[in-house]
Amino acid sequence: MSFQFSDDNLKQIEFLKTRYPSLDALSLPLLWMAQYQDGFISLEAIDEISKITKLPPMEIYRVATFYTMFKLQKQEKLLVSVCKTLSCKLCGSDEILDHLKSKDVEIEYVECLGSCGTSPVMQIKDVNYENLTPQKVDDILEELL
Amino acid sequence: MSLVKVTVDNNTYEVEKDSLLIDLLIKENLRVPYFCYHEALGADGNCRMCMVEIEGQKRPQIACDTPVKDGMVVYSQGKKLPIKKIRRDILELELINHPVDCPICDQAGECSLQEYYMEYGLHDSHMYGLDKVTHHKHIDLGSNVMLDQERCVLCARCTRFTANITHTHELGIVGRGDEAHITTMPGRKLDNPYAMNVVDLCPVGALTSKDFRFAQRVWFLESSESVCTHCAKNCNIYIDHNKLKYQDENIYRFRPRKNLEVNGFFICNEGRLSYKNLLNNRMIKSTHVNEKDILKNSIEKAKAIAVLVDASLFNEEIEMIKEFSEKIGAKLYCPQDTYIDEEFEDDMLRSKYKIANIKTIQNLNILDEMPKDADLVINFNHPDITKIDSKEIISFQTHKFELETILTIPIATYVENSGSFTNIDGITQHLKKAITLNEPIPTIAQWFKRLEL
Repeated sequence: MSFQFSDDNLKQIEFLKTRYPSLDALSLPLLWMAQYQDGFISLEAIDEISKITKLPPMEIYRVATFYTMFKLQKQEKLLVSVCKTLSCKLCGSDEILDHLKSKDVEIEYVECLGSCGTSPVMQIKDVNYENLTPQKVDDILEELL
Repeated sequence: MSLVKVTVDNNTYEVEKDSLLIDLLIKENLRVPYFCYHEALGADGNCRMCMVEIEGQKRPQIACDTPVKDGMVVYSQGKKLPIKKIRRDILELELINHPVDCPICDQAGECSLQEYYMEYGLHDSHMYGLDKVTHHKHIDLGSNVMLDQERCVLCARCTRFTANITHTHELGIVGRGDEAHITTMPGRKLDNPYAMNVVDLCPVGALTSKDFRFAQRVWFLESSESVCTHCAKNCNIYIDHNKLKYQDENIYRFRPRKNLEVNGFFICNEGRLSYKNLLNNRMIKSTHVNEKDILKNSIEKAKAIAVLVDASLFNEEIEMIKEFSEKIGAKLYCPQDTYIDEEFEDDMLRSKYKIANIKTIQNLNILDEMPKDADLVINFNHPDITKIDSKEIISFQTHKFELETILTIPIATYVENSGSFTNIDGITQHLKKAITLNEPIPTIAQWFKRLEL
């Protein structure tokens, strides 16, 4: 299986090339593109990115492993990111966590999602769900699963 | 090139402007510990072990990334600053997740971590009751290199080697924080002709040679300086050998030796592993006892004599054989095709001539062809002797091979002898004898004396 950027992405890449002084700078945006396109970053995608940026695949792989938000494996279950920082802890994220553990989802602990005023918070597919209660979590997951 | 004056520990030295301070410290043998700096790879400044005090600077500075300036005053062991304590504390951080498995580690005895711990560390661990971060152990990276990620101190020497020297980029540090470890891309191998140099570069036991693993403790080995004769480049090496009780000398490994004129710091994998066939399958005794008479009679009887000389012999020996062949009126041959391997050549250290001394053969204009119509061929270790259909063959050989001869005489290999080689770039290097066997096999010079040739 080989990886190909979609036509929209290819257009976007051409635009980005004009925006940055060097091709190295493309590596992060391209990793994001690959991740949104496939849901994860495959080795083929890394090879493709290394062709475009003219960096060795190892360099791209290093960047991809450095950031936890880049996924190098396909997600089997729905990925739920739960905030583990202080504000959410104080507002009862532990209860939410325990509740989530009984569900068929993959839980990932993340640092502050920047929504302390509406804690506890969890994030699914770039969307923040706020002011959580166990009941709310049930409703949200029912909609998504 | 302008020289500047630098004062280190109250001694003044003159060094090149803008050279690195650590080079001076290493050259003058002023004790400064370091993991990540290497002359061939340049400064990286990631291990922070080489901190020194520089007058006028508030904080300790790393010597490896500090270019010298005129009038710089350096205290390598500290004057106002507690340099020794700083080194100790950094070392402690390096050792937090180290498995401390020296008893089963191949690097023990030549390990920077051990040396610096004995010199600066000697501390008790502060990590009571905390588990160490575990990584994978004994990963086969390919190219005879084994990786133990737990022993790694992330000095990045190996990754810089694959990035800047071989430009193959197989190795990299992936992950972040204490998850960081050295690895290759998933499913890909370390695969380049110089890969095994990362084993020597690794200051700790993270990268070890599959070929040398568990073979011998390094403090039992004796290192002799020599050159590698796998090709005509003659890279400088150390031959690490040892003689076990009741046994004969055995070579355990070749290690590259620094020589900026010839090979720099590295050798290729094939050359490094070429020690294996050196001492095995040797000719020990002549096939007949009365060598002198057989030789004399054969030479007297023969109408046309051809002498074959091998390019693996020393300059001195080749000249001696040349004189000898002129004396008996024989033609001297050395077919060169058998040595050439175009595939092997590259632009780094490998020459297409896979024999040590081809340059001398070419310089002496020895015939590059197979002898024809000779009724006696006297061979000095040339491999093509097996292709010759001559009535009578007298062969001087280092190793055994299938051959019909009237007389075969054993000779010493280059490691059991001293002499000089001229490499493909015309650099002549004199070699000392590296190895003495229990029952030494005579050299060509000794045979010539004995046989009165």
